[in-house]
Amino acid sequence: MATTTDVLAEITGMLVEILGDEFLLAEEVTMSTSFNEDLALESIEFVALAELLHERYGSGVDLMGFLAEKDMDAILAMSVGELVAHISLITHASLARTSPTTKATPTAATTAAATASAPTAG
Amino acid sequence: MAFVPAGSLRFHVQRLPATAGAAAPDRPVVVFLHGLVVDNLSSFYCPLAVPVARAGHEAVLYDLRGHGRTERPATGYDSRTAVRDLVSLLGALGLGHRRVHLVGNSYGGTLALHAALARPDLVAGLTLLEPPLGGAWVENMVDTLSAAALSLEDSPVPAELLTLRLRKAANLTSIADELLNRTSLIDDIAASRTLTPADFARLDCPALIICGEHSELVPGGRELARHAPRATIEILPGLGHDVLKESSGVLRETVLAHLETTAAGATRGARVPRTGALVR
Repeated sequence: MATTTDVLAEITGMLVEILGDEFLLAEEVTMSTSFNEDLALESIEFVALAELLHERYGSGVDLMGFLAEKDMDAILAMSVGELVAHISLITHASLARTSPTTKATPTAATTAAATASAPTAG
Repeated sequence: MAFVPAGSLRFHVQRLPATAGAAAPDRPVVVFLHGLVVDNLSSFYCPLAVPVARAGHEAVLYDLRGHGRTERPATGYDSRTAVRDLVSLLGALGLGHRRVHLVGNSYGGTLALHAALARPDLVAGLTLLEPPLGGAWVENMVDTLSAAALSLEDSPVPAELLTLRLRKAANLTSIADELLNRTSLIDDIAASRTLTPADFARLDCPALIICGEHSELVPGGRELARHAPRATIEILPGLGHDVLKESSGVLRETVLAHLETTAAGATRGARVPRTGALVR
């Protein structure tokens, strides 16, 4: 699905930005890559990722709501794919809520949801 | 805005806006101060900062001087400089004109108390998780940190081990090594003045002290609660020092309830002059 591919590519770019390309190459990240097992992501690095996601997708993805149900160990035990799935799902739902008559492609859904909500994370 | 210049340093800061709908403009922003050396802002993120933001309070987290992703200068690890750092940072964030609620964990709690005593005009309330206060805490802390400093000096992490998987351990080790062996942190803690009951009695904002039942810091917390006129202490059963890690559920509810109470008090307090003006 196009949305999933787009979101995976964006999250991968963010991870490379946070960890540095001397440690992580984009090709190494797949849907089944685990934040803890494969990337050894530190909790402070996940916080940095959350900030970038919030800037990119805005409050529409309700990242806080998604994270509120988890502790840091549970978050880091996730695969990249689980985060991608959450964001893809919510960007779709958010578009469906704001423009029910628009028949958008998944790619347009991601873009529209992202531009509709201004980044609020500092 | 992850990095914010304030004073002479660049601080790593995370701001979580109050969830839309629940936000109330007159609620104090909640600012989090983490513990020493191996700690950083991320330990607050899940257990408290996200729930606090979702309950309608803006949350501000920052890495203290030398910790996490904030710059690590060689000096300035005393409580006076820490308070100055906080005040500069609040100014840089545009929060210098309003009182904030400070949540401090461990040594961050001690720093929050110092801040409230030094700048009562800036602090609306305190939540202190396991703050080391009184007694022999300075001596104990200096002993512990000195032992850690020695062990780190003997085991540097070779650069060739810095692969993706080992980066996490290497980062923690190298930050601790730099802080303990290449800054004045241990000397600054050793020289710090222990707060006394007379200091506690000057604290005039609402304060909640939260300690783990089995922690050796309970007596210091009780002493603060006894002498500070608006302080109370909550002992969490079955827990030790690391209440933040061990008890997210009970801790979260306790802290949120305290924030609601103090926010309601602050709002009532703010309304008094307005009513008075109407009557006049």
